[in-house]
Amino acid sequence: MISCKDIKVTFNAGLATEKRALRGVDLEIPQGEFVTVIGSNGAGKSTLLNTIAGDIRSSSGKLMFDAWDVTNVSAAGRTRDVARVFQDPLAGTCGNMTVEENMALAYGRGSRGGLKPALNDDLRDLFCEQLKRLNLGLENRLGAEMGLLSGGQRQSVSLLMSALQPSKILLLDEHTAALDPKTAALVMEITDQIVEEKELTVMMVTHSMRQALDHGTRTIMMHEGKVMFDLSGKERSNYDVKDLLNLFAKARGDGEELDDDKLLLGA
Amino acid sequence: MSLFSFLGTLEIGFIFGLVAIGVYLTFRVLDFPDLTVDGSFTMGAAIAAALIVFGINPYVATICATIGGAAAGLVTAWLNLRFNILHLLASILTMTALYTINLRIMGKPNIALIMEPTVLSPFESFGIPNMYLKLMFVAFVVILIGLALSYFLNTQYGMGMRATGANPRMAQANGIVIKEKIYAGLALSNGLVALAGALFAQTNGFADSTMGIGTIVVGLAAVIVGQSLFGSRSMLVIIFSCIIGSLLYRLAVSAALNADFLGFTTSDLNLITAVLVGLALIIPHLRRERKARQAAAGGAS
Repeated sequence: MISCKDIKVTFNAGLATEKRALRGVDLEIPQGEFVTVIGSNGAGKSTLLNTIAGDIRSSSGKLMFDAWDVTNVSAAGRTRDVARVFQDPLAGTCGNMTVEENMALAYGRGSRGGLKPALNDDLRDLFCEQLKRLNLGLENRLGAEMGLLSGGQRQSVSLLMSALQPSKILLLDEHTAALDPKTAALVMEITDQIVEEKELTVMMVTHSMRQALDHGTRTIMMHEGKVMFDLSGKERSNYDVKDLLNLFAKARGDGEELDDDKLLLGA
Repeated sequence: MSLFSFLGTLEIGFIFGLVAIGVYLTFRVLDFPDLTVDGSFTMGAAIAAALIVFGINPYVATICATIGGAAAGLVTAWLNLRFNILHLLASILTMTALYTINLRIMGKPNIALIMEPTVLSPFESFGIPNMYLKLMFVAFVVILIGLALSYFLNTQYGMGMRATGANPRMAQANGIVIKEKIYAGLALSNGLVALAGALFAQTNGFADSTMGIGTIVVGLAAVIVGQSLFGSRSMLVIIFSCIIGSLLYRLAVSAALNADFLGFTTSDLNLITAVLVGLALIIPHLRRERKARQAAAGGAS
């Protein structure tokens, strides 16, 4: 489904502040796979996700969604296949628009945006039905301004919004990091439900090793702009957080493991 | 205030309702502070007047004026989007250039339209006194456009425009092409303002190269007055609060000018406007500060 061939991303190329964020990523993600992405700060996890989403253009390399070469397609153009949820609960929704208007926007994802009213009673019924799944009572607050909702509620709605239109790829950028543990668990539960139901190909960046192993079917660790290791299948199911940390330290071959343990376990 | 000047005030209020809607589109919907309107208002008047004097049908002239304004909006959007010039600065550049362009369009600093046909000419045979006719005509046009625009802002396309201003990243993640919405929004906004200019020229019988000065402040005043009176989320209410804000603003100014004990003259208009807009911006801010202080005091006790 997603195929990255030698993707390189360099920020501020040619300047003193040059940063090679991705240094040649090769990745093949088949249809229906749920990949969790881990790595320390600055490893290139979010850059990889943003490159796949189209927010960042790769300096070289090739990116394909199945047979569709999206290397030079804009972020808006890629939304035909890609839905995403951001880390910041405020980023995924418009605070000064109502819940139903936000959902109507997401419902229009991938269409050109015509001159028909964006909302109608059928859609409201659909939104209500979707919101009921959250058990947050939001189905009665369709007309409420999004900005009045809590961060957890907004993130839950963002997640529902990402699934309103059929898409193939779901990109989650630490989408539970800003939430309290209870809400985070709820959001993860809904994530798993939606992914299973819609048979999506998922990439989820996370800082939590536990989350990375408990969810999804495959785990990759990024380090200094490269995929450092790639775990899946039976091998992955035998792994524990501790094994992951050992592997990380071994692959890096240096004595920084304690610092990085803190970083990786912190979230 | 005489009936005649009262009707005249309402008429201008309605015309500037269009300006208010245009300013609302850029400042509030797109979050793109656009000062082009000072130039595009004059441009609308200039194109309409020049074409009418040239013998073109007033309706065709008015449509051309609207298109001209829309083109001016596109230039500002282009400067901002293509060359990354700060939106305010881009609009000031366009506005400055338009001053010369408007003089060129008219060929002289002002054009009188006293004996020329206007968009009102077809209705003059109905026998309605001219001062009522003008008011009815502009009210009809402005209300119609208000209805159309509030419908538009609730369509998929219009909602995409609102999302572009409110949260561009989210808009993009939902497949909205931000640049396209900004181009469309600025064209629409300046088109409406130019239409207002064209109507103003025809109902008041002249076009002048300096008539657009301060348009942006008047539009902004109307938006702010309207929104502070009707705090609603409904697009219909918001759009009509712009129009009503414009009417109230005009009435307030005209009352201030007519109150002899205040001793204002027409030349004080800009100061009155600035003070009114300033107050409309300052009062809500002070109120918020007081609320925050009260909340803090309440939490401490």
